[in-house]
Amino acid sequence: MIELKNLTKDYGTTLAVNRLSLDVAAGEIYGFIGPNGAGKTTTIRMMGGIIEPTAGSITIAGIDLRKDPVAAKKIIGFVPDRPFLYEKLTGMEFLKFIADLYSVEAPYLFRRSEELLKQFALWEWADEIIEAYSHGMKQRLIIVAALLHDPKVMIIDEPMVGLDPEAVSMVKDILKGLAAQNVTIFVSTHTLSLAEDLCDRIGVIHKGTLLAQGSVSDLNLAAKTGEARLEEVFLTLVREA
Amino acid sequence: MTLLRPRLLSAGNGLKPGTRNNRWTQLFLFLLIGLAFWIGAFLIFYRVLIYFQSVQNFGDILAMKLLSMMIITFFTLLLFSSIINTLSHLYLSRDLPLLYSLPVDIRDIFFSRWFSSAFDSSWIVVAFSLPVFLSYGLVYQAGAAFYLAALTAIVCMCLMASAVSSLLVLLGAALLPAGKIRTFFVILGVLLVVLLVIVLRMIRPEQLVNPDSFASAVLYLNSMQALSLPYLPTTWVTDTVRFALKNNWTYSIFNLALSASCVFSMIFINGMAASAIYSRGFSRAQTTANRLSSPVKFRGHSWEGLLNFLSRSAKAFAIKEIRSFFRDSTQWPQLFLICALIVVYLYNFSVLPLNRAPIKTVYLQNVFSFLNVGLAAFVLSAIAARFVFPAVSIEGEAFWIIQSAPVSMKTFLWIKFFLYYIPLLILSEILIVASNLLLGVTPFMMFLSVLTIFFLVPAVVALAVGLGACYPDFKSENPALSVTSFGGMLFMLLSFGLIALVIILEAGPVYKIFMARMHGYAFSWIQILWFVFSFTFALFLCVFAVLYPMRLGAINLLKR
Repeated sequence: MIELKNLTKDYGTTLAVNRLSLDVAAGEIYGFIGPNGAGKTTTIRMMGGIIEPTAGSITIAGIDLRKDPVAAKKIIGFVPDRPFLYEKLTGMEFLKFIADLYSVEAPYLFRRSEELLKQFALWEWADEIIEAYSHGMKQRLIIVAALLHDPKVMIIDEPMVGLDPEAVSMVKDILKGLAAQNVTIFVSTHTLSLAEDLCDRIGVIHKGTLLAQGSVSDLNLAAKTGEARLEEVFLTLVREA
Repeated sequence: MTLLRPRLLSAGNGLKPGTRNNRWTQLFLFLLIGLAFWIGAFLIFYRVLIYFQSVQNFGDILAMKLLSMMIITFFTLLLFSSIINTLSHLYLSRDLPLLYSLPVDIRDIFFSRWFSSAFDSSWIVVAFSLPVFLSYGLVYQAGAAFYLAALTAIVCMCLMASAVSSLLVLLGAALLPAGKIRTFFVILGVLLVVLLVIVLRMIRPEQLVNPDSFASAVLYLNSMQALSLPYLPTTWVTDTVRFALKNNWTYSIFNLALSASCVFSMIFINGMAASAIYSRGFSRAQTTANRLSSPVKFRGHSWEGLLNFLSRSAKAFAIKEIRSFFRDSTQWPQLFLICALIVVYLYNFSVLPLNRAPIKTVYLQNVFSFLNVGLAAFVLSAIAARFVFPAVSIEGEAFWIIQSAPVSMKTFLWIKFFLYYIPLLILSEILIVASNLLLGVTPFMMFLSVLTIFFLVPAVVALAVGLGACYPDFKSENPALSVTSFGGMLFMLLSFGLIALVIILEAGPVYKIFMARMHGYAFSWIQILWFVFSFTFALFLCVFAVLYPMRLGAINLLKR
């Protein structure tokens, strides 16, 4: 469902991502972990069509993101790490704006947005200006907006930042539920326990290069750490790189 | 001083060679444009003062009257700009929560912010008052002490305006209902400037240079004495400069001392007020602004229905843009100012003394009409610089939504273009038609003006959208300020250049056509060819200015 081939991003002074190649199957949850500045967000931003790669290709459900970005973006639900929104719109107005861009039909929009807003405990706030929302509420609204058009692929950068424990647990359940419905999820995170708990496979990136990928036991094999927890595996891989 | 260090260091870092945000080119461009304005202002004032000197008995009074009017205008502008700046520096800046978390006395926070605000709102007035004083100094052959006195007086005036504004803002923030603070001050500031602009126009200062229009010398002298109240700070500043010009140092220093003591008293009162109420006001200002009105609906239909003719994504953008604009109270001042500008613009045409001109009136009316096309286009450029150039930057950090949405950058930019093109076309055509009707021009000139503006508006709007996309600033606290960036300046230069080129291309043929109609002679083939070439080239320039910047803008946004 997601295919990255020799993906490279060179900012001129920094080589942020270096010939990254990976595949994610339909219905799979793929965790992307790495230290600060490893190239996680750059990769995610390239996959969301926000920045263009210097070289390499990204294919989403068979659509080349460079050749037909509009078609590819229609099936992606993108959640950035920082919840920047149009602060002067109300939550509902923002969802309607997103629905118009993704061609979600009006009756479905109202049914779906009510369902999602209630699920994310934002229904009471739907007609309030986003400026008045807390950081966590904005993050939840972004997740609602990303789910509104029933995407086939979810690309999520740090999904749990700013969320309270209840929301963290809810988001985890939602992501698992989506994967069960064959939605592909690519998630970058610093929370290793989340990656361990949620992801089918995990990729470790450092200095723009993919060090290892696979299940936690695959990573243990690669790091020669026996049956250690992900945290130890991760630290070993990064230290030895 | 410690609290001001981050700002000074940031400015210094921007100028260091090798840094990513090197601002030397920007600074150079600013200096160049500033110098041009500066020299222009000096030459105008110098010539006016020399002319005044030639008016027997009244020359001196006229020069002093002009000085007094200049200082009142400067003071009102300073008050307006200080209110907006102080509000932003004291209550809305993003770094305030950090400052409040530091172990620093509240008065120190207040004075560091006040000082920054006073500098930001005053430097441009100080810079542009210098050519005025220089021209006075040269005409009256004043010594070096005059310049020192004038500079000190103007600095005192800036500090007084800033201190009065900060006191008003401090009191307002503590007393007004939370959430209404920004709106109140923005409206207050705007009313002040609109009032000044309209009053200045209605008193018709141009009559002061035409003493014949007064019934008697007594009436004329009376009008000269207006607005010289002894308790107004502007009077002290005017008198400081006036007496310094005449080497009457006792009175000059007395008035300067009045100004300075007023400044120190105001600073002292501000310090006391800050200790008492700044912290409380800051806490209240953290409350989100309330919406001034509930959504407008007419018989169950929302205003959004009026946009049904647009495609779905275009309508979504239009609604988002309109809502965000009208809910942001910081946008309103410019809107009010534009309304005032239009009123003054049209009023000026209604009072043009065409019947007193020595040249044949029909000719003059049409010359004015032609120049009016250029003038209206320059006004359009200024409006585009303020509203259209920041249209891409205004997406701010939420630009990721557009980047990740299934909408191409090209479509995004064209939607932005049409959102601004339609209202600006209507506004410009109203300006042109109304001013032409006031001038009573020939149908040919009316047709030509309407047509020229029809092609210039899309060119200027596309230039603004395209260059705005080439030089966006998604991280700015106030995207409207992006007009003062390198990209904004480049837009202004290119836009003015384009307008000037189109006007020059049309001027020759229009003159020939107009004279041929007046004197009834026919055109030669060469002349017809020249007309066709000129008008076609002007049209080509406009079409090029629409397509090329939009293309560049889309390419640049994709590369980000």
